[in-house]
Amino acid sequence: MRRIGIAIAVVGVIALGFAAWLVLIPAPMAFANGSTVVLSNYTGANPTGVPQELAEADPLKRGEYLAHAADCIACHTAPGAEPYAGGAAFNLPMIGTMYSTNITPDKETGIGNYTDEQFLDALHKGMRRDGARLYPAMSYTSYTYMTDADALAIKAYLFSLPAVHAPPKENRLAWPFSQRGLVAVWNLFYKADERFRPNPSQSVEWNRGAYLAEAMGHCGECHTPRNVAYALDHRRKFAGALTAGWRAYNISADKASGLGEWTDVDLATYLSTGHADGHGGSTGPMGEATDNSLTFLTPGDIRALVVYLRSVPSRQTDLPRRVDVPAPASYREGATAQLDPRGAIVFASACASCHDWTGVSPTSKYATLTGVRAVNDPSATNVAQTVINGVTRKTAEGLIFMPAFGDGYSDADIAAVSNYVTARFGAEGGHLTEKDIVSLRKLAAQQ
Amino acid sequence: MQISVNGENRVIGDDVDPKTPLLWVLRDHLGLVGTKYGCGIAQCGACTVHVDGKPVRSCQLTVDNVGNRAVTTIEAIGKTPNGAKIQAAWIDIEVPQCGYCQAGQIMSAAALLSRTPNPDDADIDAAMAGNICRCGTYIRIRQAIKNAAKSV
Repeated sequence: MRRIGIAIAVVGVIALGFAAWLVLIPAPMAFANGSTVVLSNYTGANPTGVPQELAEADPLKRGEYLAHAADCIACHTAPGAEPYAGGAAFNLPMIGTMYSTNITPDKETGIGNYTDEQFLDALHKGMRRDGARLYPAMSYTSYTYMTDADALAIKAYLFSLPAVHAPPKENRLAWPFSQRGLVAVWNLFYKADERFRPNPSQSVEWNRGAYLAEAMGHCGECHTPRNVAYALDHRRKFAGALTAGWRAYNISADKASGLGEWTDVDLATYLSTGHADGHGGSTGPMGEATDNSLTFLTPGDIRALVVYLRSVPSRQTDLPRRVDVPAPASYREGATAQLDPRGAIVFASACASCHDWTGVSPTSKYATLTGVRAVNDPSATNVAQTVINGVTRKTAEGLIFMPAFGDGYSDADIAAVSNYVTARFGAEGGHLTEKDIVSLRKLAAQQ
Repeated sequence: MQISVNGENRVIGDDVDPKTPLLWVLRDHLGLVGTKYGCGIAQCGACTVHVDGKPVRSCQLTVDNVGNRAVTTIEAIGKTPNGAKIQAAWIDIEVPQCGYCQAGQIMSAAALLSRTPNPDDADIDAAMAGNICRCGTYIRIRQAIKNAAKSV
């Protein structure tokens, strides 16, 4: 009897320990030294709101800047549809597919009836106007750090846009995830509902960067891995994650697998233009982030972001160090001996013309593969997604375009060429199979 | 801006958007219509020219990215030794059918001979896979390349 009692107690303690580990995750900015203060008690320059250059601009211009910084448009716009009218698909493994909503000021199908209070509740607490819980795909776990003033400036900007009549698409979620009430349970553990608190031990620039990264750009929502409860695990902050079928890479300070070997200039250039020589360009969801959001930030704000990014502790993951020398000029050379010859055939006919056997493009620096993280990723996930979906990026320098090969090539072809590209130009070749490509297509699908 | 085409300095007027692909600058502004448009996405090879001797799809190379590199088109390739050999081999076994792809085929083949004077089938596959022919003259293309390699 007594031994059973002890056994039960031990199991109970272990279970409680596991639950505590699952739930007691540090806050997103807890990694930094020093303690935080309430914003009104902070004596440094205000890290919230718009940058100095826009302090005198009219309220709608300020709201527009903040809407760019928070990148509402990326999730709330379906491909080819009206901006902010919703309909973008989020495919979550085992959970199902959910769609973003219309946040134009349409009174029937958009947010036209939201009061200021209700808008703040949505952003800060994930609460819909009718009291229902929003799924945390809406990043209220990050937007909660936004000040009231900034949130309402964004609301004013959204309300200045034309109302678009676009009813929300029906979510297709598996039980029990289809029950919104369960989100209330999740919220008990993972909803913070607190505003940004500056850290006086850090510089003014760091605090501005922290506000931009956490409350606005919500970088961690893609770049921080999630635990089994699908909450952000800040113990491994910015260590990278698979999000919407693409790999959001390790952006911690680690030298080989993170940003440790990027210069500040490269980082600032990448963030503000979506491309850095020797590192490649943003594509997929990060392409949207640079084109719709980061490219609109002032140089000072970009610098602040870089300062903050640099401060995030190094987390080593299994990403290898990037190869930064070109491949051999002859197709006969290069680490391709063991590979499915189909990969080389596809590359020769469809890819070599722009990307060259060396990986150094004769047509455009944006097509150069040397040193690109996606190419130096043995999972070959982003290479496959880029091949399937193509690249259409509107930058200040013009259109960056790569055709989408997903409809013209079989799953086997795409797997073979992705494995070939990572082997020839990167640190380690991929081992994607046809089934992997089927799965990747589903994850990134917008139907 | 100025670019070097077939050994001459050609002036590109200010009315030309610097992001215009070289293909259209050659055809519409410089009157060199031998280079063809087939797909516009570097998947057919009809637009192939040489830039500093390397084969490049001119539908993708914007004119502002040419710099001071030397562009050679089908109109002038016959003046180079390998270009002349290829053209002679092409005529000798009557390679072209409709002819639309052939400017690009010849440019790619001439570049191959410069890199690999005695190409085998695998070399030809790798170098020519990006040039497609709707009329199916591939067998003659392959043979003509081998004949050109053997010729003096």
